[in-house]
Amino acid sequence: MASSVKQGFATLKKVHVNKRFSVGLGAQVPEAYRKFWAEWMERQPAAVHYIPNEGRFKRNQKTGEVVPIQNVHIPLKRVVEENFGIWGGEAVIQGFKKPEMKHRKPCFWVPTLKRSAVRSEVLNEFFSVTLTDRTITLIHEHHGFDHYLLKSPACDLRSVLALKIKRKILIDLLNGCPAWDHNKTRQDEVKKEFSQYLEQYTPEEIEWYGLTYAEALAKTQKMIKEANPIVPHKQIFREKLIEQLKQAGLEEVTGEKAADEESSWLKKLNPFSKKKEF
Amino acid sequence: MLRSIFKSGINSISTHLLTSNNAVTQQVRTTFILRRKYPLELHKKNQKPRKLRGKHFNYVLVEDTNRTVKPDIEVVLKQFIHGVGKKGEIVKVRPNFAYNELLLTDKAAYATPENIEKYKLKEGEESQEEKYSSPYAQRTVNMLQNRVFAIVMNKEQPWVIEPWHVRASLRKCGYHILSDDAIELPQEKITGPDLQKQNKEFIVTVTINKMEKAKVRCRIHHWSTNPSDRLPYVYEHWLQDTEPLFPSEQKSNESSS
Repeated sequence: MASSVKQGFATLKKVHVNKRFSVGLGAQVPEAYRKFWAEWMERQPAAVHYIPNEGRFKRNQKTGEVVPIQNVHIPLKRVVEENFGIWGGEAVIQGFKKPEMKHRKPCFWVPTLKRSAVRSEVLNEFFSVTLTDRTITLIHEHHGFDHYLLKSPACDLRSVLALKIKRKILIDLLNGCPAWDHNKTRQDEVKKEFSQYLEQYTPEEIEWYGLTYAEALAKTQKMIKEANPIVPHKQIFREKLIEQLKQAGLEEVTGEKAADEESSWLKKLNPFSKKKEF
Repeated sequence: MLRSIFKSGINSISTHLLTSNNAVTQQVRTTFILRRKYPLELHKKNQKPRKLRGKHFNYVLVEDTNRTVKPDIEVVLKQFIHGVGKKGEIVKVRPNFAYNELLLTDKAAYATPENIEKYKLKEGEESQEEKYSSPYAQRTVNMLQNRVFAIVMNKEQPWVIEPWHVRASLRKCGYHILSDDAIELPQEKITGPDLQKQNKEFIVTVTINKMEKAKVRCRIHHWSTNPSDRLPYVYEHWLQDTEPLFPSEQKSNESSS
């Protein structure tokens, strides 16, 4: 009963506290992952589905009134399907259409998807993925798929697939492009072209980049387990005993044995021996 | 029982839906730029925006970016491509063509200063384009060779086929040959009118840019100014097989092809 009743500060107001990185295993996730999480989930993505107003203030031409310009973004829905494609920052929008003098109608605005291929220079590989026209436009603007992924922040990539490919590219760059081992001249060119992007990250950040929350927790759990391995008490006590015996030396061991023999009348009693029947 | 029927019914419907490819039932999906129909009230400085209410989710379509024409992009060619350009050339092409045909197939690169320098044609380099007069010549050759041209001749007056007859017939089909020197007729003279030669095929060689040679298939057709004397119309006559005017010519063609 008492657990269901709100107590303290929470009684005054509805307070939503995000306990993702404050409670339990989440509290032990390293700072490198929290930095990535902030880039992915907390940072405001670029305006794709609306045109933001520029400037700080605007004047009403009729009244002369000056009002500040405030751009409030249009909320985007996170759907499962976007994680299996690269939509270039586009997303599903839920809202209403409201014709004049009519009731509003619910509507979902969904991006136009098409299946096409993308080519990664660093990985030396083609991927068949679902794309939008915006993705291809962005690839053209950045002069290549790798440049597009490496230049865009995680909040603009949105999808798990794009972040996974970006993570793989970063790890490959850190290891010196093993995909081009068969062609050393091309390997040097690729290294020279893309090494600039490694300056933004430390090796630890790359290790934690592009992981989902569940994967990050699993990785943390694994690290904790490896740092503190569980050893059976039997082994610990046996080692302790052996050390004690070594320190004590042979003489004492023999001495104990003699003492045991003197006061060993109790041992002669066997409680499990068969009792004589009277 | 009912459940099983219901289940099977659902399955059948779902399979039908999956296989049907009806354009009317397909959902049209495009990318949208929206704006709020009722703008949000101003919030205080350095504070969170106000809570969104139902009316703030009424959106108006501003622009559909899928409908707008995307500009051409510039690419540097890594090799000679028919109908596009030479190696090292900077060409402006449609973005989808550039992506699907040139960039994904590694025939071109984006026109950055480094790429332009890298793929520039070096002096003394043996280039493939020397074999061609221009990137578009082969395309013209293909277009000429994939068609059959009718050489329309008079049914009453005597004639001998000359290059300008061929030039006029090709011009009717939209192929403008600027000089008669480019047209090479067969060795033997073709004279008429002779209804034995009606719809028989012969080969004319057209030289493009004084370099590429196209073998153009021509068929003789007899024409009269008097409508009652004209030959009956044959439906899609260019698709039908005919005999060659010179049997030796056909044999050499078959052996070459």
